[in-house]
Amino acid sequence: MKTYVLQRLVIALLTLLGMSVVIFVLLRLAPGDIVDILFATAGYISPSEKQALMKELGIDRPYVIQYLDWLRQVVTGDLGKSYRYDLPAWEVIRPLVPVTLELAALSMVFAVLIGVPAGVVSAVRQDTTLDYLLRVFSLAGLSMPAFWLGMVIILGLVSWFAWIPPLTYVSPTKDLKLHLIQFLLPALAVGYRSSALIMRITRSSLLEVMREDYIRTAWAKGQTGRIVIWRHALKNALLPVVTVIGIEFAFLIGGLVVTETVFNLPGVARFLVQAILWRDYPVVQNLVMFTAIVVILSNLIVDMLYGVLDPRVRYGG
Amino acid sequence: MRSRALPFLGVFAVVLSTFALAAPAQSQTPKSGGTLNIMLREDLSQGFAIHESSTISTVFPAAPCLNNLVQFDPAKAIESTDTIVGDLAEKWSWQDNYRNLVFFLRKNVKWHDGHPFSSKDVKFTFDMLREGPEAPAKLRINPRKDWYANVEAVEAPDPYTVVFRLKRPQPSLLSMIASGYTPIYAAHVPPASYRTSCVGTGPFKVKEWRKGEYLDYVKNPDYFIKGRPYLDALHYVVIVERGTRTAALQAGQLDVAFPGETTKAAAEQLKKAVPQLVITPVGTAVTDNIIMNSKKPPFDNLKVRLAVSYAIDRKGLIQAVHQGAGVPGAAMAPRPYGVWGMTEKDLLTLPGYGKPADMKDKAKKLLAEAGVKPGQPLRVEMVTRAIAVYVDMASFVINELKQVGIEATLKQIETAQWHAMATRGDYQIGANLTGLGVDDPDANLYENFACGSPRNYSFYCDEQVMKMIDQQSQELDPRKRLAQVIAIQKKIEEAAARPVLDHRIDYFTVWPHVKNLTPHHNIYNFARMQDVWSDK
Amino acid sequence: MAVRPAAIAVPAGARPSTGAWTVLARFVRKKPLGAAGGALMLLMVITALFAELLQTQDPIATNAAYTLGRPNLEHLLGTDHLGRDIYSRIVHGARVSLVVGVASTLLGSVLGGIIGLLSGYVGGKTDLVTQRILDILQGLPLLVLALVMSAALGPSVQNVVIAISIPIIPRAARVIRSSVLSIREMQYVEAARSLGVQHLRIAFRHILPNTIGPFIVLCTAQLGSAILVEATLSYLGLGVPEPYPSWGRMLSVSAAEYAQKAPHLVLFPGIAISLAVFASNLLGDALRDTLDPRLRGS
Repeated sequence: MKTYVLQRLVIALLTLLGMSVVIFVLLRLAPGDIVDILFATAGYISPSEKQALMKELGIDRPYVIQYLDWLRQVVTGDLGKSYRYDLPAWEVIRPLVPVTLELAALSMVFAVLIGVPAGVVSAVRQDTTLDYLLRVFSLAGLSMPAFWLGMVIILGLVSWFAWIPPLTYVSPTKDLKLHLIQFLLPALAVGYRSSALIMRITRSSLLEVMREDYIRTAWAKGQTGRIVIWRHALKNALLPVVTVIGIEFAFLIGGLVVTETVFNLPGVARFLVQAILWRDYPVVQNLVMFTAIVVILSNLIVDMLYGVLDPRVRYGG
Repeated sequence: MRSRALPFLGVFAVVLSTFALAAPAQSQTPKSGGTLNIMLREDLSQGFAIHESSTISTVFPAAPCLNNLVQFDPAKAIESTDTIVGDLAEKWSWQDNYRNLVFFLRKNVKWHDGHPFSSKDVKFTFDMLREGPEAPAKLRINPRKDWYANVEAVEAPDPYTVVFRLKRPQPSLLSMIASGYTPIYAAHVPPASYRTSCVGTGPFKVKEWRKGEYLDYVKNPDYFIKGRPYLDALHYVVIVERGTRTAALQAGQLDVAFPGETTKAAAEQLKKAVPQLVITPVGTAVTDNIIMNSKKPPFDNLKVRLAVSYAIDRKGLIQAVHQGAGVPGAAMAPRPYGVWGMTEKDLLTLPGYGKPADMKDKAKKLLAEAGVKPGQPLRVEMVTRAIAVYVDMASFVINELKQVGIEATLKQIETAQWHAMATRGDYQIGANLTGLGVDDPDANLYENFACGSPRNYSFYCDEQVMKMIDQQSQELDPRKRLAQVIAIQKKIEEAAARPVLDHRIDYFTVWPHVKNLTPHHNIYNFARMQDVWSDK
Repeated sequence: MAVRPAAIAVPAGARPSTGAWTVLARFVRKKPLGAAGGALMLLMVITALFAELLQTQDPIATNAAYTLGRPNLEHLLGTDHLGRDIYSRIVHGARVSLVVGVASTLLGSVLGGIIGLLSGYVGGKTDLVTQRILDILQGLPLLVLALVMSAALGPSVQNVVIAISIPIIPRAARVIRSSVLSIREMQYVEAARSLGVQHLRIAFRHILPNTIGPFIVLCTAQLGSAILVEATLSYLGLGVPEPYPSWGRMLSVSAAEYAQKAPHLVLFPGIAISLAVFASNLLGDALRDTLDPRLRGS
């Protein structure tokens, strides 16, 4: 078990390192840098001023040096200075993190609340109209563009109820009720989309388990259907579901970008888009690494869980 | 709010009678207190460093923190030398035949950190701006350096007097100093600090700037005009998504729209949903124009450039792209939006302003003369910025050009590369927007049409017109000057240097409880919020 | 031991060859949802191919007289803020979405498939390293990767295709690799190897044909995702540029702003996108169920 954990950790670290190189290179592939953007906001460009500015920001150095500098900063805990805001990147990002984490968590809650029961019902009532309806409903969520869903929700509310959720962020300390209302809709929108995969896995996993011998034995023994399902089948069916929840968390980030933009929530995802447009490298690099860490961490945890739950892994190394 | 109105009424009466400066005539008595939620379409670009930026996204939210020497009367929509009123300067006068400009500054003005304001700050600011030899500090980006090309020296003979010595008479200097782009920086803080915080003399102090989210101001209790500002606080909210911010305005979560961002169709929709909204059509000092690289074929040929100008139906564009929210005009804004523009009658003599069918015929003839054969359309690449307002306009223009035999493909250029590309001349033809910080011929003509100016993207250079520009800059008789400016505009359009398609109009929207916020025919110059009050 | 012909029987999932129409009919009967999805996709393909014939107006022609117009006989789905016909733009948008979606899916899947095939077959250290590299690509969220790539490469159709195909590569590689791993151990492959058949030949002659099933399933699954990413990129302004009408771009900027006066501006392009993705997902699900029951629900 110990070697297993260690192995996975080393691999995770190496992967992160690889990602840092990829994101560093990719960003610099994009034409234009912060200096060009700054001049764009000034409405003109002057080559001499540009040189001086590049020197001041340290971006006239060769890329390898800049990359090593960045690594050094990360290791010492310094996340660099935002090019756009002239402030430490962490200071700019910090207030955004809880918003995104809260939205992600709430979304996952909704995803599970919608997906698991739907999957169970669908499996139990396999191939009935209800099954088809649920599958269509679930697939529809997966098919709609996240930003469109958000737009339609807001516009529907305005047109039919003449009401919109607060479109400027309400802090939970200021007004908890309003804050929850504000998060409810975007979390539902994102959760609905994530629930599709969870529903599918729950359904298929349950179907497979229900075919297993020990279930049929339990049925043969005369235990009533419902107890059989809930006690035996569900327990074992949930293992792959847990995996999927971890994977789904990664896909969540994509949906969060547009949802935060449409619902105007000051989160990390929305900020990321702006930072990319501004070529604010320190901010983008750190944010992407942050999401990468979250993804890898959740994969790692899932792997651990597997290691704990599945004896084959535990003793197989 | 109501309980505090009474004592303020008394003070206000006294203030009104002694300070005949910025206090406008009121039909209602202003109340003190309240907060306004104001729309921002994006976060501040360079914080409060107005001198290092040229975008409304910096000027509009940063203005409440600062003051100018003089300003355009906040209560009047039109801006001209006649509407200039004092700000940090109480009195001013031209001397020596418009060669020296003297300002007499207010006393007892304090910076937000308690330091006293004096002529030292003014000299500091302008020496820095004009990059004079003894400049005390340097701006890392200085877009309006050329506004002060004619300033020989800035002197501060005593703490409350400043003298601008010019190399030659230039009446326009006063207008440029009145522009929202010319606030006064403090001499005792480094200019770079304005990118993150603001030490100003203005009616509001920065309370908190949550990056990407909002900007909070609180009232400056020591403001040099007693009784102002009326409002307790300002809350600028960043909403990037267009539909979301319109919805927020409609729902009353925002009180004030962002200048220049409300189209006519959006305004109609808003009015229908909320009939009590106050919507004011105003000029914006922003023009749609066509830049053509006159150093490279095919636009080095005057006939081809003229053909482009003839081909574009100005009124059609205004209707198609702006649903009527625009006015035709040449380089300077026409009345009532500006004071230097050409009349409708004069415009009709310019290329592209007659009957569309006739104009397109003329364009085809010109192209034929330039060697374009029918059936073999002229293929060009049109560039524009990758922003919706640009792209819509460009699409219309491409359609127009198609009808006279010019086939243009559209290439969208990202913001980061636009200015570099245009300055280098790496393009053939482009659909462009230009914003003017002040409705002044010097500010416009030198920047966009002078030989060798970096923002003269068309590389237009006419010695005679340069002479005319220099001449009007020194002309002291306003009537003569107007005639000269009109003559210049005519020449520019006839050379198709940078055909102006229209001057945009904004349908500035506020909720009815927002009082005394008069939009100007220039988006950059009415943002101080000093006299604004809330009737809630 | 002599290899019995039965052992070389094609693995589970592939059907004994019968007439194509019979296969189709069976598919429609057994998987009505999938068949519906397939039919919808076919409709899209036809629309994309014959866009010029199906349009009622020039999709880029503006009309100042009828902006934000309600649907009527002349403009079946109304007009946008510039007076352009929405129906014609949606018809042309099908072409963009399909071309970009199919091209990026194929590009990504084929590249990823080859990588997965070789990696899975060769195994050992190469496999380990390749997997880690793919992990890196996969660890970055799909949209973020496409965003950065799009900004890096600039707006053009080719660049959007490349940008969207890159996140698909690791996913494709993973699927094909797992398929390869399971086939590799089968007896007939071992037999071939013991007979001295070269590795490459084994890889392409024996293993590849049996990954076709999972490959098709993968493609249809990724197609929906590719269409969505293209729409999102266009919505954010980083996708296919003018003048190609793109469903995603039709939803950006002006659509939400005018939505109360002209809800059709927001509804129709969004419905188009959703239907396209929905159809490809339905088809993909059904194909997966038919072609490889082992993968059902995975």
